[in-house]
Amino acid sequence: MIRYQSLLIFTLVLMVTANLWAKPIVICDSCEVKSISEGIKIAMEFDTLLVKKGTYKEYNILIDKPLTLIGEDYPIIDGEEKGEIIRIVSDGVTLDGFFIINVGTSYTTDHAAIRVVKSENFLIQNVVLEKLFFGIYLEKSSNGKVYHNKIIGDAKDEYNSGNGIQLWYSHHVEVSNNIVQGARDGIYLEFSDNIAIHNNKSTGNLRYGLHFMFSDDDIYTDNIFENNGAGVAVMFSKNIVMKGNTFRKNWGTAAFGMLLKEINDAEISNNTFEENTIGINIEGSNRIDYKGNNFIKNGWGIKVLGACYTNTFSGNNFLYNSFDISYDSNLNDNVFDGNYWSDYTGYDLDKNGIGDVPYRPVKLFSYIVNKTPESIVLLRSLFMDIIDFSEKVSPVFTPDNLLDINPLMTKVQ
Amino acid sequence: MKNLVIIGVICVLVLSACNSELKPITYGSDGCHFCSMTIVDKQHAAQFMTKKGRSYSFDATECMLNHLREIDTETVELFRVNDYTDPGVFVDATQATYLISENIPSPMGAFLSAFSNEEAAKKAQSDNTGVLYTWTELNEKFKK
Repeated sequence: MIRYQSLLIFTLVLMVTANLWAKPIVICDSCEVKSISEGIKIAMEFDTLLVKKGTYKEYNILIDKPLTLIGEDYPIIDGEEKGEIIRIVSDGVTLDGFFIINVGTSYTTDHAAIRVVKSENFLIQNVVLEKLFFGIYLEKSSNGKVYHNKIIGDAKDEYNSGNGIQLWYSHHVEVSNNIVQGARDGIYLEFSDNIAIHNNKSTGNLRYGLHFMFSDDDIYTDNIFENNGAGVAVMFSKNIVMKGNTFRKNWGTAAFGMLLKEINDAEISNNTFEENTIGINIEGSNRIDYKGNNFIKNGWGIKVLGACYTNTFSGNNFLYNSFDISYDSNLNDNVFDGNYWSDYTGYDLDKNGIGDVPYRPVKLFSYIVNKTPESIVLLRSLFMDIIDFSEKVSPVFTPDNLLDINPLMTKVQ
Repeated sequence: MKNLVIIGVICVLVLSACNSELKPITYGSDGCHFCSMTIVDKQHAAQFMTKKGRSYSFDATECMLNHLREIDTETVELFRVNDYTDPGVFVDATQATYLISENIPSPMGAFLSAFSNEEAAKKAQSDNTGVLYTWTELNEKFKK
Protein backbone atom coordinates (compact mmCIF):
# COMPACT_ATOMS: atom_id res chain seq x y z
CA MET A 1 0.00 0.00 0.00
CA ILE A 2 2.78 2.39 1.00
CA ARG A 3 4.51 1.37 -2.10
CA TYR A 4 1.47 2.35 -4.14
CA GLN A 5 1.25 5.72 -2.43
CA SER A 6 4.88 6.55 -3.07
CA LEU A 7 4.44 5.53 -6.67
CA LEU A 8 1.42 7.79 -6.93
CA ILE A 9 3.27 10.73 -5.39
CA PHE A 10 6.21 10.10 -7.65
CA THR A 11 4.01 10.17 -10.71
CA LEU A 12 2.28 13.31 -9.51
CA VAL A 13 5.60 15.06 -8.96
CA LEU A 14 6.73 13.92 -12.36
CA MET A 15 3.58 15.26 -13.98
CA VAL A 16 3.90 18.65 -12.28
CA THR A 17 7.53 19.09 -13.25
CA ALA A 18 6.80 17.88 -16.79
CA ASN A 19 4.08 20.47 -16.88
CA LEU A 20 6.57 23.13 -15.83
CA TRP A 21 8.96 22.07 -18.55
CA ALA A 22 6.26 22.06 -21.16
CA LYS A 23 5.41 25.69 -20.50
CA PRO A 24 6.41 27.45 -23.70
CA ILE A 25 8.60 30.51 -23.95
CA VAL A 26 6.31 33.21 -25.27
CA ILE A 27 7.74 35.74 -27.68
CA CYS A 28 5.98 38.97 -28.56
CA ASP A 29 6.40 42.73 -28.68
CA SER A 30 5.29 43.34 -25.12
CA CYS A 31 6.67 40.09 -23.67
CA GLU A 32 9.83 39.58 -21.67
CA VAL A 33 11.41 37.93 -24.71
CA LYS A 34 11.11 40.18 -27.75
CA SER A 35 13.07 38.46 -30.47
CA ILE A 36 13.16 34.91 -31.78
CA SER A 37 16.97 34.73 -31.59
CA GLU A 38 16.84 35.75 -27.96
CA GLY A 39 14.17 33.13 -27.26
CA ILE A 40 16.35 30.43 -28.82
CA LYS A 41 19.33 31.57 -26.75
CA ILE A 42 17.56 31.21 -23.40
CA ALA A 43 15.62 28.06 -24.34
CA MET A 44 16.54 24.63 -22.98
CA GLU A 45 16.65 21.56 -25.21
CA PHE A 46 13.21 20.29 -26.27
CA ASP A 47 11.52 23.55 -25.24
CA THR A 48 8.65 25.05 -27.17
CA LEU A 49 8.75 28.64 -28.34
CA LEU A 50 5.43 30.31 -28.99
CA VAL A 51 5.77 33.30 -31.30
CA LYS A 52 2.79 35.66 -31.14
CA LYS A 53 1.47 37.63 -34.07
CA GLY A 54 3.67 40.56 -35.10
CA THR A 55 6.61 41.49 -37.30
CA TYR A 56 10.09 40.33 -36.37
CA LYS A 57 12.90 42.01 -38.29
CA GLU A 58 15.52 39.32 -37.92
CA TYR A 59 17.92 37.33 -40.05
CA ASN A 60 20.60 34.71 -39.45
CA ILE A 61 18.42 33.06 -36.82
CA LEU A 62 20.41 30.01 -35.70
CA ILE A 63 18.56 27.07 -34.23
CA ASP A 64 21.25 24.90 -32.65
CA LYS A 65 19.25 22.74 -30.24
CA PRO A 66 16.16 20.56 -30.52
CA LEU A 67 13.28 23.04 -30.29
CA THR A 68 9.71 23.46 -31.42
CA LEU A 69 8.90 26.89 -32.83
CA ILE A 70 5.23 27.61 -33.26
CA GLY A 71 3.88 30.77 -34.83
CA GLU A 72 0.49 31.97 -33.68
CA ASP A 73 -1.62 33.58 -36.45
CA TYR A 74 1.33 33.65 -38.84
CA PRO A 75 3.86 36.07 -37.33
CA ILE A 76 6.04 37.73 -39.99
CA ILE A 77 9.79 37.25 -40.00
CA ASP A 78 11.24 39.95 -42.25
CA GLY A 79 14.84 39.40 -43.29
CA GLU A 80 15.02 42.84 -44.94
CA GLU A 81 17.14 41.27 -47.71
CA LYS A 82 20.15 41.10 -45.44
CA GLY A 83 20.84 37.40 -45.80
CA GLU A 84 19.66 33.99 -44.73
CA ILE A 85 16.73 33.97 -42.34
CA ILE A 86 16.57 30.67 -40.44
CA ARG A 87 19.37 28.12 -40.24
CA ILE A 88 18.72 24.83 -38.47
CA VAL A 89 21.81 22.91 -37.38
CA SER A 90 20.30 20.64 -34.75
CA ASP A 91 18.31 17.40 -34.86
CA GLY A 92 14.67 17.37 -33.82
CA VAL A 93 13.58 20.87 -34.80
CA THR A 94 9.97 21.70 -35.65
CA LEU A 95 8.98 24.88 -37.43
CA ASP A 96 5.27 25.56 -37.71
CA GLY A 97 3.18 28.50 -38.91
CA PHE A 98 5.41 31.39 -39.99
CA PHE A 99 5.31 33.97 -42.72
CA ILE A 100 8.86 34.61 -43.89
CA ILE A 101 9.77 37.35 -46.36
CA ASN A 102 12.70 39.21 -47.93
CA VAL A 103 15.58 36.79 -48.19
CA GLY A 104 18.80 38.42 -49.37
CA THR A 105 19.97 37.66 -52.91
CA SER A 106 23.59 36.69 -53.28
CA TYR A 107 25.56 35.33 -56.22
CA THR A 108 28.16 33.45 -54.25
CA THR A 109 26.11 32.12 -51.33
CA ASP A 110 22.75 30.50 -51.90
CA HIS A 111 20.74 32.28 -49.23
CA ALA A 112 17.60 30.44 -48.19
CA ALA A 113 14.56 31.40 -46.18
CA ILE A 114 14.97 28.18 -44.19
CA ARG A 115 18.11 26.10 -44.39
CA VAL A 116 18.56 22.77 -42.65
CA VAL A 117 22.18 21.68 -42.35
CA LYS A 118 23.32 18.16 -41.40
CA SER A 119 20.30 17.54 -39.20
CA GLU A 120 17.72 14.79 -38.73
CA ASN A 121 14.08 14.52 -37.71
CA PHE A 122 13.03 17.97 -38.76
CA LEU A 123 9.49 19.07 -39.53
CA ILE A 124 8.72 22.20 -41.49
CA GLN A 125 5.02 22.86 -41.94
CA ASN A 126 2.45 25.59 -42.53
CA VAL A 127 5.13 28.06 -43.52
CA VAL A 128 4.51 30.77 -46.12
CA LEU A 129 7.52 32.14 -47.97
CA GLU A 130 7.56 35.23 -50.16
CA LYS A 131 10.25 37.40 -51.72
CA LEU A 132 12.73 34.60 -51.55
CA PHE A 133 15.93 33.55 -53.19
CA PHE A 134 16.04 29.91 -52.18
CA GLY A 135 12.99 28.76 -50.20
CA ILE A 136 13.56 25.65 -48.11
CA TYR A 137 17.07 24.26 -48.56
CA LEU A 138 17.88 20.86 -47.07
CA GLU A 139 21.59 20.22 -47.03
CA LYS A 140 22.85 16.76 -46.01
CA SER A 141 19.77 16.41 -43.83
CA SER A 142 17.67 13.25 -43.56
CA ASN A 143 14.53 11.72 -42.07
CA GLY A 144 12.44 14.85 -42.13
CA LYS A 145 9.22 16.18 -43.49
CA VAL A 146 8.32 19.28 -45.48
CA TYR A 147 4.55 19.50 -45.30
CA HIS A 148 1.87 21.95 -46.39
CA ASN A 149 3.95 25.03 -47.11
CA LYS A 150 3.34 27.78 -49.60
CA ILE A 151 6.31 29.16 -51.49
CA ILE A 152 5.70 32.09 -53.79
CA GLY A 153 8.68 33.43 -55.68
CA ASP A 154 8.78 36.27 -58.14
CA ALA A 155 11.06 34.72 -60.74
CA LYS A 156 9.17 36.10 -63.71
CA ASP A 157 11.97 37.75 -65.63
CA GLU A 158 14.60 37.70 -62.94
CA TYR A 159 16.84 34.76 -63.76
CA ASN A 160 19.08 34.94 -60.77
CA SER A 161 16.47 33.13 -58.77
CA GLY A 162 16.76 30.12 -56.50
CA ASN A 163 14.73 26.96 -56.13
CA GLY A 164 11.57 26.60 -54.05
CA ILE A 165 12.43 23.42 -52.17
CA GLN A 166 15.93 22.10 -52.66
CA LEU A 167 17.33 18.82 -51.40
CA TRP A 168 21.07 18.32 -51.59
CA TYR A 169 22.56 15.05 -50.36
CA SER A 170 19.44 14.45 -48.26
CA HIS A 171 17.74 11.09 -47.79
CA HIS A 172 14.41 9.71 -46.53
CA VAL A 173 12.54 12.99 -46.71
CA GLU A 174 8.82 13.43 -47.37
CA VAL A 175 7.74 16.48 -49.35
CA SER A 176 3.96 16.72 -49.50
CA ASN A 177 1.00 19.06 -49.94
CA ASN A 178 3.15 22.07 -50.77
CA ILE A 179 2.39 24.84 -53.22
CA VAL A 180 5.40 26.18 -55.08
CA GLN A 181 5.29 28.85 -57.73
CA GLY A 182 7.55 31.42 -59.37
CA ALA A 183 10.86 29.82 -58.44
CA ARG A 184 13.64 28.56 -60.70
CA ASP A 185 12.84 24.90 -60.04
CA GLY A 186 9.80 24.23 -57.88
CA ILE A 187 11.34 21.20 -56.20
CA TYR A 188 14.93 20.22 -56.91
CA LEU A 189 16.67 17.03 -55.83
CA GLU A 190 20.39 16.58 -56.22
CA PHE A 191 22.12 13.45 -54.90
CA SER A 192 19.03 12.68 -52.79
CA ASP A 193 17.72 9.13 -52.42
CA ASN A 194 14.54 7.61 -50.96
CA ILE A 195 12.48 10.78 -51.22
CA ALA A 196 8.68 10.75 -51.39
CA ILE A 197 6.92 13.64 -53.09
CA HIS A 198 3.12 13.68 -52.91
CA ASN A 199 0.22 16.00 -53.67
CA ASN A 200 2.26 19.08 -54.41
CA LYS A 201 1.25 21.80 -56.81
CA SER A 202 4.19 23.26 -58.68
CA THR A 203 3.21 25.92 -61.19
CA GLY A 204 4.65 28.84 -63.11
CA ASN A 205 8.26 28.06 -62.35
CA LEU A 206 11.00 29.30 -64.57
CA ARG A 207 12.70 26.00 -65.29
CA TYR A 208 11.12 22.81 -63.94
CA GLY A 209 8.26 21.96 -61.65
CA LEU A 210 10.27 19.06 -60.28
CA HIS A 211 13.84 18.18 -61.10
CA PHE A 212 15.89 15.08 -60.29
CA MET A 213 19.66 14.98 -60.67
CA PHE A 214 21.71 11.96 -59.65
CA SER A 215 18.97 10.82 -57.26
CA ASP A 216 17.81 7.21 -56.88
CA ASP A 217 14.87 5.25 -55.43
CA ASP A 218 12.51 8.19 -55.28
CA ILE A 219 8.74 8.27 -55.75
CA TYR A 220 6.38 11.04 -56.74
CA THR A 221 2.62 10.70 -56.94
CA ASP A 222 -0.47 12.85 -57.49
CA ASN A 223 1.33 16.12 -58.09
CA ILE A 224 0.30 18.85 -60.52
CA PHE A 225 2.88 20.49 -62.77
CA GLU A 226 1.46 23.30 -64.84
CA ASN A 227 2.87 26.15 -66.87
CA ASN A 228 6.49 25.58 -65.99
CA GLY A 229 9.45 25.92 -68.34
CA ALA A 230 9.04 22.15 -68.32
CA GLY A 231 6.99 19.94 -66.05
CA VAL A 232 9.48 17.47 -64.67
CA ALA A 233 13.06 16.63 -65.57
CA VAL A 234 14.49 13.31 -64.43
CA MET A 235 18.18 13.01 -65.18
CA PHE A 236 20.92 10.53 -64.35
CA SER A 237 18.71 8.74 -61.83
CA LYS A 238 17.62 5.15 -61.14
CA ASN A 239 14.47 3.48 -59.82
CA ILE A 240 12.13 6.45 -59.89
CA VAL A 241 8.40 5.75 -59.57
CA MET A 242 6.06 8.33 -61.12
CA LYS A 243 2.33 7.80 -60.64
CA GLY A 244 -0.87 9.73 -61.06
CA ASN A 245 0.71 13.10 -61.80
CA THR A 246 -0.68 15.75 -64.10
CA PHE A 247 1.57 17.60 -66.55
CA ARG A 248 -0.24 20.46 -68.21
CA LYS A 249 0.46 23.39 -70.47
CA ASN A 250 4.22 23.33 -70.55
CA TRP A 251 4.65 25.17 -73.84
CA GLY A 252 7.75 26.62 -75.52
CA THR A 253 10.69 25.67 -77.72
CA ALA A 254 12.61 24.05 -74.87
CA ALA A 255 9.52 22.95 -72.94
CA PHE A 256 8.42 19.42 -72.17
CA GLY A 257 5.84 17.74 -70.01
CA MET A 258 8.59 15.45 -68.87
CA LEU A 259 12.24 15.24 -69.79
CA LEU A 260 13.99 11.91 -69.24
CA LYS A 261 17.71 11.69 -69.74
CA GLU A 262 19.93 8.80 -68.77
CA ILE A 263 17.51 7.14 -66.40
CA ASN A 264 17.04 3.42 -65.85
CA ASP A 265 14.46 1.08 -64.32
CA ALA A 266 11.60 3.47 -63.78
CA GLU A 267 7.84 3.09 -63.62
CA ILE A 268 5.64 5.73 -65.22
CA SER A 269 1.96 4.98 -64.74
CA ASN A 270 -1.45 6.64 -64.70
CA ASN A 271 -0.13 10.11 -65.42
CA THR A 272 -1.81 12.68 -67.62
CA PHE A 273 0.13 14.71 -70.16
CA GLU A 274 -2.07 17.42 -71.59
CA GLU A 275 -1.28 20.27 -73.96
CA ASN A 276 2.50 20.19 -73.75
CA THR A 277 4.85 20.88 -76.63
CA ILE A 278 6.27 17.40 -76.03
CA GLY A 279 4.58 15.02 -73.60
CA ILE A 280 7.69 13.01 -72.77
CA ASN A 281 11.10 13.60 -74.28
CA ILE A 282 13.20 10.48 -73.80
CA GLU A 283 16.91 10.14 -74.29
CA GLY A 284 19.24 7.37 -73.19
CA SER A 285 16.71 5.74 -70.89
CA ASN A 286 16.28 1.99 -70.44
CA ARG A 287 13.93 -0.56 -68.90
CA ILE A 288 11.08 1.83 -68.25
CA ASP A 289 7.48 0.72 -67.93
CA TYR A 290 4.94 3.18 -69.38
CA LYS A 291 1.48 2.08 -68.38
CA GLY A 292 -1.99 3.62 -68.24
CA ASN A 293 -0.90 7.15 -69.10
CA ASN A 294 -3.01 9.65 -71.00
CA PHE A 295 -1.37 11.74 -73.71
CA ILE A 296 -3.86 14.41 -74.72
CA LYS A 297 -3.48 17.17 -77.30
CA ASN A 298 0.29 17.45 -77.14
CA GLY A 299 2.46 18.53 -80.05
CA TRP A 300 4.38 15.29 -79.66
CA GLY A 301 3.05 12.61 -77.33
CA ILE A 302 6.40 10.89 -76.94
CA LYS A 303 9.64 11.86 -78.59
CA VAL A 304 12.32 9.19 -78.44
CA LEU A 305 15.89 10.18 -79.15
CA GLY A 306 18.91 7.90 -79.25
CA ALA A 307 19.87 4.92 -77.13
CA CYS A 308 16.64 3.78 -75.50
CA TYR A 309 16.31 0.03 -74.94
CA THR A 310 13.83 -2.42 -73.45
CA ASN A 311 11.04 0.00 -72.71
CA THR A 312 7.41 -1.10 -72.76
CA PHE A 313 4.40 1.04 -73.59
CA SER A 314 1.09 -0.62 -72.81
CA GLY A 315 -2.44 0.41 -71.93
CA ASN A 316 -1.83 4.08 -72.66
CA ASN A 317 -4.27 6.46 -74.34
CA PHE A 318 -2.91 8.62 -77.16
CA LEU A 319 -5.58 11.20 -77.86
CA TYR A 320 -5.42 13.89 -80.52
CA ASN A 321 -1.68 14.57 -80.46
CA SER A 322 -0.17 16.11 -83.59
CA PHE A 323 2.36 13.28 -83.45
CA ASP A 324 1.82 10.33 -81.13
CA ILE A 325 5.35 8.99 -81.32
CA SER A 326 8.45 10.38 -82.93
CA TYR A 327 11.54 8.27 -83.37
CA ASP A 328 14.89 9.32 -84.67
CA SER A 329 16.46 5.95 -85.40
CA ASN A 330 15.66 2.54 -86.79
CA LEU A 331 16.69 0.70 -83.69
CA ASN A 332 13.81 -0.57 -81.69
CA ASP A 333 13.56 -3.26 -79.07
CA ASN A 334 10.95 -1.21 -77.30
CA VAL A 335 7.48 -2.70 -77.16
CA PHE A 336 4.22 -0.94 -77.98
CA ASP A 337 1.38 -3.23 -77.08
CA GLY A 338 -2.32 -2.74 -76.38
CA ASN A 339 -2.54 1.04 -76.41
CA TYR A 340 -5.45 3.16 -77.58
CA TRP A 341 -4.67 5.51 -80.48
CA SER A 342 -7.24 8.10 -81.48
CA ASP A 343 -5.73 8.12 -85.00
CA TYR A 344 -6.31 4.39 -85.50
CA THR A 345 -8.55 3.72 -88.47
CA GLY A 346 -8.57 -0.08 -88.45
CA TYR A 347 -11.51 -2.39 -87.81
CA ASP A 348 -12.43 -5.08 -85.36
CA LEU A 349 -14.34 -7.85 -87.16
CA ASP A 350 -14.12 -10.44 -84.38
CA LYS A 351 -15.36 -7.87 -81.81
CA ASN A 352 -12.72 -8.70 -79.23
CA GLY A 353 -11.92 -5.06 -78.58
CA ILE A 354 -8.57 -5.30 -80.35
CA GLY A 355 -8.05 -3.88 -83.82
CA ASP A 356 -7.37 -6.49 -86.50
CA VAL A 357 -4.74 -4.39 -88.24
CA PRO A 358 -1.58 -3.31 -86.41
CA TYR A 359 -1.13 0.41 -85.85
CA ARG A 360 2.04 2.23 -86.89
CA PRO A 361 2.40 5.16 -84.50
CA VAL A 362 5.29 6.88 -86.29
CA LYS A 363 4.27 9.07 -89.18
CA LEU A 364 6.71 9.64 -92.00
CA PHE A 365 6.15 13.35 -91.57
CA SER A 366 7.44 13.27 -87.98
CA TYR A 367 10.61 11.77 -89.45
CA ILE A 368 10.95 14.67 -91.83
CA VAL A 369 10.31 17.20 -89.07
CA ASN A 370 13.06 15.58 -87.00
CA LYS A 371 15.54 16.10 -89.80
CA THR A 372 14.30 19.54 -90.87
CA PRO A 373 12.37 21.29 -88.10
CA GLU A 374 11.22 24.09 -90.42
CA SER A 375 9.09 21.66 -92.42
CA ILE A 376 6.56 21.79 -89.57
CA VAL A 377 4.75 24.50 -91.61
CA LEU A 378 3.52 21.67 -93.85
CA LEU A 379 1.62 20.09 -90.96
CA ARG A 380 -1.99 19.32 -91.89
CA SER A 381 -1.34 19.97 -95.57
CA LEU A 382 -2.87 17.63 -98.14
CA PHE A 383 0.55 16.67 -99.48
CA MET A 384 1.67 15.42 -96.07
CA ASP A 385 -1.56 13.50 -95.61
CA ILE A 386 -0.91 11.77 -98.91
CA ILE A 387 2.66 10.76 -98.16
CA ASP A 388 1.66 9.69 -94.64
CA PHE A 389 -1.05 7.53 -96.16
CA SER A 390 1.27 5.97 -98.72
CA GLU A 391 3.81 5.28 -95.97
CA LYS A 392 1.08 3.62 -93.92
CA VAL A 393 0.13 1.36 -96.83
CA SER A 394 3.70 0.32 -97.58
CA PRO A 395 6.21 1.42 -94.95
CA VAL A 396 9.64 2.17 -96.34
CA PHE A 397 11.17 4.83 -94.13
CA THR A 398 9.63 4.32 -90.70
CA PRO A 399 11.00 1.52 -88.49
CA ASP A 400 9.54 -1.74 -89.72
CA ASN A 401 9.07 -3.31 -86.31
CA LEU A 402 7.71 -0.20 -84.64
CA LEU A 403 4.05 -1.09 -84.41
CA ASP A 404 1.29 -1.84 -81.98
CA ILE A 405 -0.02 -5.31 -82.85
CA ASN A 406 -2.94 -5.06 -80.46
CA PRO A 407 -4.32 -1.53 -80.74
CA LEU A 408 -7.38 -1.09 -78.58
CA MET A 409 -10.72 -0.09 -80.10
CA THR A 410 -11.87 1.84 -77.02
CA LYS A 411 -10.10 4.09 -74.56
CA VAL A 412 -8.49 2.63 -71.49
CA GLN A 413 -10.48 3.86 -68.53
CA MET B 1 33.62 67.33 -92.11
CA LYS B 2 31.01 66.53 -89.49
CA ASN B 3 29.06 64.53 -92.08
CA LEU B 4 32.16 62.55 -92.90
CA VAL B 5 32.58 61.61 -89.25
CA ILE B 6 28.95 60.51 -89.04
CA ILE B 7 29.28 58.47 -92.23
CA GLY B 8 32.48 56.99 -90.88
CA VAL B 9 30.76 56.01 -87.63
CA ILE B 10 27.84 54.48 -89.53
CA CYS B 11 30.25 52.50 -91.73
CA VAL B 12 32.04 51.12 -88.69
CA LEU B 13 28.72 50.17 -87.07
CA VAL B 14 27.45 48.47 -90.22
CA LEU B 15 30.70 46.61 -90.76
CA SER B 16 30.84 45.48 -87.14
CA ALA B 17 27.27 44.25 -87.47
CA CYS B 18 28.45 42.10 -90.36
CA ASN B 19 30.93 40.30 -88.15
CA SER B 20 29.49 37.04 -87.01
CA GLU B 21 28.62 37.31 -83.36
CA LEU B 22 27.60 34.68 -80.87
CA LYS B 23 23.87 34.60 -80.44
CA PRO B 24 23.02 35.83 -76.95
CA ILE B 25 21.28 33.35 -74.66
CA THR B 26 17.67 34.00 -73.75
CA TYR B 27 17.78 32.76 -70.18
CA GLY B 28 14.68 30.88 -69.15
CA SER B 29 13.64 29.78 -72.64
CA ASP B 30 16.70 28.55 -74.56
CA GLY B 31 17.59 24.91 -74.14
CA CYS B 32 21.01 23.35 -73.74
CA HIS B 33 22.21 21.85 -77.01
CA PHE B 34 23.66 18.80 -75.26
CA CYS B 35 21.25 17.91 -72.47
CA SER B 36 18.05 19.79 -73.48
CA MET B 37 17.83 21.51 -70.13
CA THR B 38 16.50 25.05 -70.02
CA ILE B 39 19.34 27.51 -69.51
CA VAL B 40 18.75 29.66 -66.42
CA ASP B 41 22.06 29.75 -64.56
CA LYS B 42 23.89 32.96 -65.40
CA GLN B 43 27.01 31.77 -63.58
CA HIS B 44 27.62 28.50 -65.40
CA ALA B 45 26.26 28.79 -68.96
CA ALA B 46 28.65 28.37 -71.90
CA GLN B 47 28.57 28.80 -75.67
CA PHE B 48 30.70 28.32 -78.73
CA MET B 49 30.49 29.47 -82.33
CA THR B 50 31.64 27.49 -85.33
CA LYS B 51 33.73 28.99 -88.11
CA LYS B 52 30.57 29.05 -90.21
CA GLY B 53 28.97 31.31 -87.60
CA ARG B 54 26.53 28.92 -85.98
CA SER B 55 26.09 29.35 -82.20
CA TYR B 56 25.64 26.52 -79.73
CA SER B 57 24.56 27.24 -76.17
CA PHE B 58 24.89 25.08 -73.07
CA ASP B 59 23.56 25.32 -69.55
CA ALA B 60 26.91 24.38 -68.07
CA THR B 61 30.57 24.30 -69.05
CA GLU B 62 30.57 20.52 -68.52
CA CYS B 63 27.83 20.13 -71.13
CA MET B 64 29.92 22.07 -73.64
CA LEU B 65 32.96 19.92 -72.89
CA ASN B 66 30.91 16.73 -73.25
CA HIS B 67 29.56 17.96 -76.56
CA LEU B 68 33.07 18.76 -77.78
CA ARG B 69 33.96 15.08 -77.45
CA GLU B 70 31.48 14.37 -80.24
CA ILE B 71 32.64 16.99 -82.73
CA ASP B 72 35.82 18.17 -84.41
CA THR B 73 37.04 21.11 -82.29
CA GLU B 74 38.91 22.46 -85.31
CA THR B 75 35.59 23.73 -86.65
CA VAL B 76 35.07 26.00 -83.64
CA GLU B 77 35.87 29.69 -83.95
CA LEU B 78 35.50 30.75 -80.32
CA PHE B 79 34.50 29.41 -76.91
CA ARG B 80 32.90 31.47 -74.18
CA VAL B 81 31.91 30.78 -70.57
CA ASN B 82 30.04 32.68 -67.90
CA ASP B 83 32.23 34.37 -65.34
CA TYR B 84 31.28 32.98 -61.93
CA THR B 85 31.97 36.24 -60.13
CA ASP B 86 30.15 38.37 -62.68
CA PRO B 87 26.89 36.57 -63.56
CA GLY B 88 25.66 36.95 -67.13
CA VAL B 89 29.01 38.16 -68.48
CA PHE B 90 30.72 35.93 -71.02
CA VAL B 91 34.49 35.66 -71.22
CA ASP B 92 36.96 33.85 -73.48
CA ALA B 93 36.87 30.24 -72.33
CA THR B 94 40.44 29.48 -73.40
CA GLN B 95 41.79 32.23 -71.13
CA ALA B 96 39.62 31.50 -68.09
CA THR B 97 40.65 29.71 -64.90
CA TYR B 98 38.44 26.82 -63.79
CA LEU B 99 37.66 25.58 -60.34
CA ILE B 100 36.22 22.17 -59.51
CA SER B 101 35.00 22.34 -55.94
CA GLU B 102 32.58 20.01 -54.16
CA ASN B 103 31.15 23.07 -52.44
CA ILE B 104 30.06 24.99 -55.54
CA PRO B 105 27.36 23.04 -57.40
CA SER B 106 27.03 23.55 -61.16
CA PRO B 107 23.98 22.61 -63.27
CA MET B 108 25.16 19.20 -64.52
CA GLY B 109 26.91 17.91 -61.46
CA ALA B 110 30.55 18.53 -62.37
CA PHE B 111 31.01 21.21 -59.67
CA LEU B 112 32.77 23.25 -62.32
CA SER B 113 32.94 27.06 -62.37
CA ALA B 114 34.87 29.45 -64.59
CA PHE B 115 36.62 32.67 -63.56
CA SER B 116 38.02 35.35 -65.87
CA ASN B 117 40.29 36.54 -63.10
CA GLU B 118 42.84 34.08 -61.73
CA GLU B 119 42.96 35.88 -58.39
CA ALA B 120 39.18 35.51 -57.99
CA ALA B 121 39.54 31.80 -58.78
CA LYS B 122 42.25 31.40 -56.16
CA LYS B 123 40.13 33.22 -53.60
CA ALA B 124 37.16 30.97 -54.37
CA GLN B 125 39.47 27.99 -54.05
CA SER B 126 40.69 29.06 -50.60
CA ASP B 127 37.07 29.71 -49.49
CA ASN B 128 35.61 26.49 -50.83
CA THR B 129 38.55 24.12 -51.39
CA GLY B 130 38.91 22.39 -54.76
CA VAL B 131 41.31 22.13 -57.68
CA LEU B 132 42.16 24.77 -60.29
CA TYR B 133 42.45 23.96 -64.00
CA THR B 134 43.39 25.79 -67.15
CA TRP B 135 41.34 25.34 -70.32
CA THR B 136 43.83 22.82 -71.73
CA GLU B 137 43.97 20.79 -68.53
CA LEU B 138 40.20 20.81 -68.32
CA ASN B 139 39.84 19.51 -71.87
CA GLU B 140 42.27 16.71 -71.10
CA LYS B 141 40.24 15.80 -68.01
CA PHE B 142 36.95 15.65 -69.92
CA LYS B 143 38.37 13.64 -72.83
CA LYS B 144 38.66 10.59 -70.59
